[in-house]
Amino acid sequence: MLLEILLEQCWPSMGSWERPSQLLQMCLLERYQRAASIMLRLPTVSRALSGVAHIKGSVAVTINVRTGATAAPATASNQMEVFVDGKPVMVEPGTTVLQACEKVGVQIPRFCYHERLSVAGNCRMCLVEIEKSPKPVAACAMPVMKGWNILTDSEKTRKAREGVMEFLLANHPLDCPICDQGGECDLQDQSMQFGSDRSRFSENKRAVEDKNIGPLIKTIMTRCIQCTRCVRFASEIAGVEDLGTTGRGNDLQIGTYVEKMFMSELSGNVIDICPVGALTSKPYAFTSRPWETRKTESIDVLDAVGSNIVVSTRGGEVMRILPRLHEDINEEWISDKTRFAYDGLKRQRLTQPMVKDASGQLVTTSWEDVLTRVAGVLQGAQGTNVAAIVGGMVDAEALIALKDLLNHFNTDNLCTEEIFPMAGAGSDLRSNYLLNSRIAGIEEADLLLLVGTNPRYEAPLFNARIRKSWLHNELRVALLGRKVDLTYTYDHLGESTKVLQDISAGTHPFSKVLAQAKRPVVVLGSAALQRDDGAAIHAAVSTIAQNARVSSGVGESWKVLNVLHRVASQVAALDLGYKPGVEAIKKNPPKVLFLLGADAGCITRQDLPIDSFIIYQGHHGDVGAVLADVILPGAAYTEKCGTYVNTEGRAQQTRLAVTAPGLAREDWKIIRALSELAGVTLPYDTIEEVRDRLAEVSPNLVRYDDVEEANYFQQANQLAKAVNQTVLTEPLVPPQLSVRDFYMTDPISRASQTMAKCVKAVTEGAHVIEEPAIC
Amino acid sequence: MFLASVFRSAVSQTARQVRNLHQSAARAAAGGIFVHRDTAENNPETPFEFTAENLKRIDAIISMYPEGHKQAATIPVLDLAQRQHGWLPISAMNKVAEVLQIPPMRVYEVATFYTMFLRQPVGKFHIQICTTTPCMLCNSDSILEAIQNKLGIKVGGMTADKMFSLIEVECLGACVNAPMVQINDNYYEDLSPKDIEQIIDELKAGKVPPGPR
Amino acid sequence: MEHTENASTYTRWQHDKIQRRILIKITSEGKGTDMASSAAARTATGAGKVVKPIFSRDFDEAKRRVRDLYRAWYREVPNTVTTFQLDITARQGREKVREMFDKNKHVTDPRVIDMLVIKGKMELQETINVWKQKTHIMRYFHETEVPRSADFLSRFYVGHDP
Repeated sequence: MLLEILLEQCWPSMGSWERPSQLLQMCLLERYQRAASIMLRLPTVSRALSGVAHIKGSVAVTINVRTGATAAPATASNQMEVFVDGKPVMVEPGTTVLQACEKVGVQIPRFCYHERLSVAGNCRMCLVEIEKSPKPVAACAMPVMKGWNILTDSEKTRKAREGVMEFLLANHPLDCPICDQGGECDLQDQSMQFGSDRSRFSENKRAVEDKNIGPLIKTIMTRCIQCTRCVRFASEIAGVEDLGTTGRGNDLQIGTYVEKMFMSELSGNVIDICPVGALTSKPYAFTSRPWETRKTESIDVLDAVGSNIVVSTRGGEVMRILPRLHEDINEEWISDKTRFAYDGLKRQRLTQPMVKDASGQLVTTSWEDVLTRVAGVLQGAQGTNVAAIVGGMVDAEALIALKDLLNHFNTDNLCTEEIFPMAGAGSDLRSNYLLNSRIAGIEEADLLLLVGTNPRYEAPLFNARIRKSWLHNELRVALLGRKVDLTYTYDHLGESTKVLQDISAGTHPFSKVLAQAKRPVVVLGSAALQRDDGAAIHAAVSTIAQNARVSSGVGESWKVLNVLHRVASQVAALDLGYKPGVEAIKKNPPKVLFLLGADAGCITRQDLPIDSFIIYQGHHGDVGAVLADVILPGAAYTEKCGTYVNTEGRAQQTRLAVTAPGLAREDWKIIRALSELAGVTLPYDTIEEVRDRLAEVSPNLVRYDDVEEANYFQQANQLAKAVNQTVLTEPLVPPQLSVRDFYMTDPISRASQTMAKCVKAVTEGAHVIEEPAIC
Repeated sequence: MFLASVFRSAVSQTARQVRNLHQSAARAAAGGIFVHRDTAENNPETPFEFTAENLKRIDAIISMYPEGHKQAATIPVLDLAQRQHGWLPISAMNKVAEVLQIPPMRVYEVATFYTMFLRQPVGKFHIQICTTTPCMLCNSDSILEAIQNKLGIKVGGMTADKMFSLIEVECLGACVNAPMVQINDNYYEDLSPKDIEQIIDELKAGKVPPGPR
Repeated sequence: MEHTENASTYTRWQHDKIQRRILIKITSEGKGTDMASSAAARTATGAGKVVKPIFSRDFDEAKRRVRDLYRAWYREVPNTVTTFQLDITARQGREKVREMFDKNKHVTDPRVIDMLVIKGKMELQETINVWKQKTHIMRYFHETEVPRSADFLSRFYVGHDP
């Protein structure tokens, strides 16, 4: 009986009948069955439709997936004892040899195995000897059986590794000195550790033609060892099945077969997972070595997800950005914008304070001069004559400093560029504007309704999480809004707001589906809130979420309503009491307007009186700086310690990786200095004191990497009922529809040449980007 | 002694050279490269459409596999496409992917893996001559020469009228009746140079001559 | 070959000279130390309030030590200029010596003075023995550092650091 279930679970993984790997799969299946007599939970891969795990020779053992409600904690009785080099360890059935070894802290060398991808078992580097077994086994694909003694450092094991290494190196070029992977190359490291000290190879090496797969990834395919990690990444994580293996035997190669870009918003990650130098970063090519760079652990602020990153710097210059592991946010991936937009930090920067002279030209000046002028202007204007607009990449420290400063001038006209409807509960209840379910929480959901959003480009890592859950946990997704390619299938409910009201009223067929969901999640895109009927949309979504919560009968700990933001500063700004949207400022145009990194173009000169004075503080000469009478150069996210709160409500901090260019200063310091000259000195001199002040206003802002739970959904929903419920007839269309809209969304990525190349490549084709001399 | 060392090095050089001559059969037979390049007769715009009859066959093939496993039908459907068109242009592969609702890349993978999927144009009569050891011992070289002389093409070539194309292949499993050639789906065994010329003449005349001689 | 030998002879000669000079100084210091320690013993048995001196029993004695040190430095400057091939005149060197001594002229505590003299002697010995390099000598001629201001605004104007 159990065996039948097992067979069924493994069934989809067997997809292509005709492949030679069939035999291998059958063998493994047989082993599974044998091992299964005491098996409770076998990691399964379903959704065979998508063609996942159909790579040649792949065995579908998926790991590292939260199974949520179904995951019963394994009782001790299920566990079985195996030995690693004689050391006993208790493992669950279905554990692979490699995982068992990992459990006792023994690292098995590997190339093709990656813990977040399906198991391919084709590099053979992980061969280990099992006592009493006639042949070495591939540790990554072999489930352990009771009582096995795994010998990870026996003569046979070492010999097997050395042999595999010799074969791998037979066709691998000896170009380490000019290879960008040098210093962080798995092949280099492992050949040092496990390889032979001499070569017996005197034949010619195979050569493979390089592919042009876009302006981000450089390919030197001769170096490829065919681990197929990139192929599996593309089909499983990115959901773009463009990469594959063509040919066979010695002629097997990785590529796209036809000339084609690898079009994914997560494409840069294949650079990280490639164990050799076959896939390297094009913008980073030949610039630095890993041991030359200083690494700073930081946070990405180009979207609201808050991916954890490592900023590699050399001599005060950002050389590259790499992902940093955070299981609850980005796992170990980052989006291409996060990874490649860093060259925008070196262009279009504001490095000197500037003021407009008599002829209307902006001329550089000193800090003393510019601060004195601004202070004078501020002192001359009081109350409603002063206002501020903050942009999408401002840290919480600058937000609080600016708010404190302007409050001293008796004004509370502080707005964010992004709109959030204030009717009903508005931003008074945090649960109204957070991604309450959290990013990782999606893995436990069984039904997801997306409203007016395109998470693939608004929050690529969130989308990757949805795809993961869709792939492994049978998550059902429905989309209300413009039909877009999300890398997974979904029920498209249309793009009319009428449908939204139908669902909230319970008259739409989807309401029944929603009512049956055990763990429903509703995600509202912040783009939908930018409309004039944002409040009504929010109210409708709130009602849908509330109904779903009641019908599903989940406890208080399960959150249904979620808002997916697009900019990094929005949650912190709302936490600190900023007013969302510039409507109020347009209605009451102020004499003095302070733009803090406001580059979305929400306000123009036409909206303000002719004699109004505009101060722009920020790091890029973008939309906002053009309007300004005075420019105060600020620091970008790699140049300051700043607090950012992601869309989940998780406070995280960026760290200072390089100093700001020229005379640019950290944002809160500029405001602090300004306050002193304006005669209303703010009571903080150090970042710690600013953070104490942040804690006074909103303690969650300084509890780093902690998510403060937000509740009161029911109350919020009741308040929302009082809102004007009429919605506009315009369809729900998120602004970022195709990959072209993804690359340039903020001042940093707009200044980036790499991002510009990406846009050009996706519109005109990869071949138009001129190639640097390939060596 | 000095001379001896020179001689030795020369020998080792030669040995190395000889070893370098090794080439896999796949490379020689399957049109060489495993990437696609657009040509006049092979590009995504090359017209290819399954006939109504073949579409019915595809439905029958797909129904053999469980629900949601259309991908399993890749090989038979590719074969169908090849039989319909003679060879597999990129447009045919794309069509197969479309019919099976799988990404084109998955079809390319299969098509490049098997040497019997022809990704380059071939003649109406595709001659595959076996030159593996048993055939070679029974003088397959003379057969090869006869074909080349008769058609005026080399191995890997095609006649100008696109009637005949010729490739060399490894063992086709008819060693007992060596030497042999395969023309399209038919085996012609126990050949002599005269036989093969006669076969080609008959094919030219539009007849399909009987198999073993 | 010959040249090297010459050079080494020269160095050996010079080295002897230096050795001799140091020897003289050390013996004189040695005497001083003996004296001081006995003096210390004497004072220690006396009033409890009087702290144990390092070398000098009173200010005058300390001053004499300073003068000795100054004289030694004064005499050494021309040698230093030639040995280290400094791009300064002996006069400039002596001015710098005077400046360094003047920097501590406010010190009156004989123990502190003694300590400073010990440090000065160490510097002198390192200079004479060419344990220092040119760059170390030239560090005396560095521009004087401006003390960092403490208030927020002036730090803000100066630079990035907090």
